[in-house]
Amino acid sequence: MDIIKKEKKCHFCVNNINEIDYKDAETLRRFINSYMKILPRKRTGTCSWHQRKLATAIKRARVMVLLPFIRR
Amino acid sequence: MSKTNTSRIPHYELLYIVSNKFTEDEVKPIMKKVTDIINNRGGKTTLIEEWGKKRLAYPVKNFSHAYYVLAEFDFEGEKVESIDRDLRMMSEILRHQIVSKRVKTAEDIKKEKEISQKIAARKEKEAEKEVKETEKKEEKEEEKKKGKVDMGELDEKLDKILETDDLL
Repeated sequence: MDIIKKEKKCHFCVNNINEIDYKDAETLRRFINSYMKILPRKRTGTCSWHQRKLATAIKRARVMVLLPFIRR
Repeated sequence: MSKTNTSRIPHYELLYIVSNKFTEDEVKPIMKKVTDIINNRGGKTTLIEEWGKKRLAYPVKNFSHAYYVLAEFDFEGEKVESIDRDLRMMSEILRHQIVSKRVKTAEDIKKEKEISQKIAARKEKEAEKEVKETEKKEEKEEEKKKGKVDMGELDEKLDKILETDDLL
């Protein structure tokens, strides 16, 4: 069957990124939805180790006004 | 990751936003003030990077634009909070954030290179596999087509049999 979903892989593992930079708002934007909420691991395929780092990075970016807290 | 070098001086990264009510020339003395604060407290600035004027993701104190400045510094001792406190006193700065940053050692760089090489090798292997799989699929499809032809022949035969047996 072709309908079976392709297995998603962690973006940061594939690209060998150990530390997620909170200043890089463009890549972080890929991991939040249109309501500016952090997307779950189920959706993005991020591994748990990177998801934890990603969450702190997004929160830091929000404090530094690089990402919004809520949709305007 | 687990190895922590105690002899190394901790490295920090500071990002701050200067409010939009200043012109670009006026931002420079503010930047100097910040570096002076760091140096007076016993830090050593290693990098200053101006991002320029940027649009804010949400308004802060009714400003929709602001100047971003990034600074990196080495700071020995435990009281990074003293710098944090001084920056909080400055009314020109809308927001600031000090984050400790790990400096990559030669070992880390070596490890990263090894891993990236491994990843590249794996990707090549996967590409080869895919080529093989597509070939296999093509073969299978050809076989399927043959099967269909057989089915057509069978239908014809069946029809003939039915025609003869219809009279019963």
